[in-house]
Amino acid sequence: MEYEEAKTAIVETLTKKSKSKSKFYFNDLAKIMGMKPRLAKKIVNQLVQDGVLEYWSSGSTSMYGLPGVGKQAAAEHED
Amino acid sequence: MAFVSSGYDPDKPMENRISDIGPRKYDEFYPPVIAKNKGKWLYHEVLKPGVLVHVAEGGDEVYTVRCGGARLMSTTHIREICDIAEKHCDGHLRFTTRNNIEFMVDSKDKVEPLVQDLESRKFDGGSFKFPVGGTGTSITNIVHTQGWIHCHTPASDASGTVKATMDEVFEDFKQHRMPAKLRISMACCLNMCGAVHCSDIAILGYHRKPPMLDHEYLDKMCEIPLAIASCPTAAIRPAKVEWKGEKVNSVAVKNERCMFCGNCYTMCPSMPLSDKEGDGIVLMVGGKVSNRISAPMFSKVVVAFQPNDTPRWPETTEAIKKIIEVYAAEANKYERLGEWAERIGWERFFEKCELPFTHHLIDDFRDPAYYTWRQSTLFKF
Amino acid sequence: MAKHATPLLDQLESGPWPSFVSDMKQQAEVRAKNAENIEFQIPQDVVEDLLGILELSFADGTTHWKHGGIVGVFGYGGGVIGRYCDQPDNFPGVAHFHTMRVAQPGAKFYKTDYLRQLCDLWDFRGSGITNMHGSTGDIILLGTTTPQLEEIFYELTHNMNQDLGGSGSNLRTPADCIGMARCEYACYDTNALCYHLTQEYQDELHRPAFPYKFKFKFDGCPNGCVASIARADMSFIGTWKDNIKIDQEAVQAYIGGEFAPNANDHNGRDWGPFDIQKEVIDLCPTDCMWMEGNQLKIEDKECTRCMHCINVMPRALKIGDDRGLSILVGAKAPILDGAQMGSLLVPFVKAEDPYDEIKEVIEAIWDWWMEEGKNRERLGELMKRQGFQKLLKVTGIEPTAHHVQEPRTNPYIFWNEDEVEGGWDRDIDEYRKHHQR
Repeated sequence: MEYEEAKTAIVETLTKKSKSKSKFYFNDLAKIMGMKPRLAKKIVNQLVQDGVLEYWSSGSTSMYGLPGVGKQAAAEHED
Repeated sequence: MAFVSSGYDPDKPMENRISDIGPRKYDEFYPPVIAKNKGKWLYHEVLKPGVLVHVAEGGDEVYTVRCGGARLMSTTHIREICDIAEKHCDGHLRFTTRNNIEFMVDSKDKVEPLVQDLESRKFDGGSFKFPVGGTGTSITNIVHTQGWIHCHTPASDASGTVKATMDEVFEDFKQHRMPAKLRISMACCLNMCGAVHCSDIAILGYHRKPPMLDHEYLDKMCEIPLAIASCPTAAIRPAKVEWKGEKVNSVAVKNERCMFCGNCYTMCPSMPLSDKEGDGIVLMVGGKVSNRISAPMFSKVVVAFQPNDTPRWPETTEAIKKIIEVYAAEANKYERLGEWAERIGWERFFEKCELPFTHHLIDDFRDPAYYTWRQSTLFKF
Repeated sequence: MAKHATPLLDQLESGPWPSFVSDMKQQAEVRAKNAENIEFQIPQDVVEDLLGILELSFADGTTHWKHGGIVGVFGYGGGVIGRYCDQPDNFPGVAHFHTMRVAQPGAKFYKTDYLRQLCDLWDFRGSGITNMHGSTGDIILLGTTTPQLEEIFYELTHNMNQDLGGSGSNLRTPADCIGMARCEYACYDTNALCYHLTQEYQDELHRPAFPYKFKFKFDGCPNGCVASIARADMSFIGTWKDNIKIDQEAVQAYIGGEFAPNANDHNGRDWGPFDIQKEVIDLCPTDCMWMEGNQLKIEDKECTRCMHCINVMPRALKIGDDRGLSILVGAKAPILDGAQMGSLLVPFVKAEDPYDEIKEVIEAIWDWWMEEGKNRERLGELMKRQGFQKLLKVTGIEPTAHHVQEPRTNPYIFWNEDEVEGGWDRDIDEYRKHHQR
């Protein structure tokens, strides 16, 4: 999958699910793109760089989401 | 306090950005005698507790003075460490994996002034700033986690339990009395962000109550699917709950499945679990990581629960002290605590250390449990 | 006058061991005085509020911190741990109190100019409280506010040539023992390999794409001073293949009492005169040593390199010359399915720059784990779930008896069809010619 195509697919899927869930594991993203993790990572890195995705961390585990989306962002007054 | 910019422009985060450069390279910081003799060391000897000499092929020597410290450390304290390093060691020093500080000098005559200087420095409260010791068969510094100073899921404090314990075993930090190395570690919850599961003695914080549920706010503050997914034992499910006359979306917890890890609280601040009566200390003993004589071993739980009796945890330090004294008196030279306990048998260990054996100490967690039950008639009365 | 009374914490100022409470109090005072006229970028009384909230925990037995999902600096998914206090009105100085992990130098050697620079930065933009060091090995800067994160990162990278460490589902900051820098037991250059792989895998360290955390640790010998075998997903432990080198004269010096055994570190009590039979030969786990007259003999082929004899007589016995390392994989703390030690995967590999053979193993494992690992499943758990054979297959390593403690005790072998002569497709009609229904 090319960058633009991947971007559209990810933004669409995450937006659709954003009502119940705002954070996703890396493998969820790789699945949306239908790509092997190592290749998917290059695109995901770029999506973060471009501000399409942002990281969320539990300290031990990391997740991805659309910027500013999610209930905890509001709770932390950091949005 | 006015905001002072470093030069970073938030509107253009990528401008002049430097990233992916890693740590500073190790050899930038080697003392000259280390840089010169790397890979050429012949042997070492402990001159006295806290003082080591390493001798290199060409006859060069490096003397290391090791001293203890709290890993929770202020910049004021680090600056004092720098003062000492500049005065005695041309500005070089290192830290060990066990939070000790090592000052290195290249000749023997520099050792005593350094030791004197370190031992002379005390905090206003009276404790030593840089007690020299922690080598060989002493009881060295405790590796530990954050605890109440900074963690959101601790079941105890780390710096506090460590200070209380090190005060009790302080004499043994400064002398070589143990039969072998004795390593104590502390982790303030079962997630063990500092692994303590292979320590001679491990102090472990443990929760005993499942999370509380803040139904009123849960759906507002948390994403329920994330809270559910966070549970390693699948004890959380979504639930509609009647709360102050209103039906709200929330979760239900199967309490008997909860292992008290706090992962749900990490994902959902409406599921706090810390509790004064519920939380306390588990003691584990007999682990090691070295391959010396026997293979590495896991620590075993020998005390299921002790309360957080702040500020000095007397039950915990007493039990530790007792175990250490019995071990020191009875183990063979070179025998680690776990090797000794296995040799005499765990039934003897509990008897000698005067620790009660309760059902909590029999493993019932998943597959490995079976391998810890006794499948033989070989036991002692 | 302190801002908050701390009667419980005050009791931790007495006793000989260095008191973190005294240290925090001195820091609070230094900040209050501010002799250097620092334009503090976070509240001046941050340390007093930190003491206050810690005192509260000592009194009520519970934590007062909440986790925050903030990860820090732009483009990085790790290196910062978000913390908020649950009593911001009473302790506003620590309302936002995030941790930054700074990648430590190899073996934690420092020069003071570097440490002073770090202290200046942390006094200016943070609490001035640190951990030297965190459990994984990083320098931990404890407590700053969100707007300072980018500023600190900018100063670290631009002025100090220094990067952040790892957190979350990343490669965590690798850590090494002191190694050849100051240890005669080191079988390879732990500092060099640790640094090389840290630099090679910066992307994995900063941008999380793993199922969970992943740790490298580097022990120079089987004594295991950084505990890699217990806590690293990949543990690199130095070893050798040839013979232990014996200096017979030095052996005699130990026997004669000229040299103290075990580098003199049992000198705190009277263990009696050194007895080589009892203390070395009888304790050898493989019974491969003996005395022939006044010569110490070792049947090296039977030695498992446990280090005991070398540790006891470091001036007489030296590690061999054909050196390299063993790779063990899958160690982890107990959460969730119980603790695991590392399992031996590569019995021996040379550790020579550019370490291609080692990197091949690493990358094969990552490919497998990234594809097959469940969310929050450590490598060791994946190994348990899919089996050691799968690990051998993905890494292309041939099975040997070194890989097991003992062979399996059940015969339930899952044969592959291609391993069985003639395959599994059989002709039932042909069978029925010889066997009636």
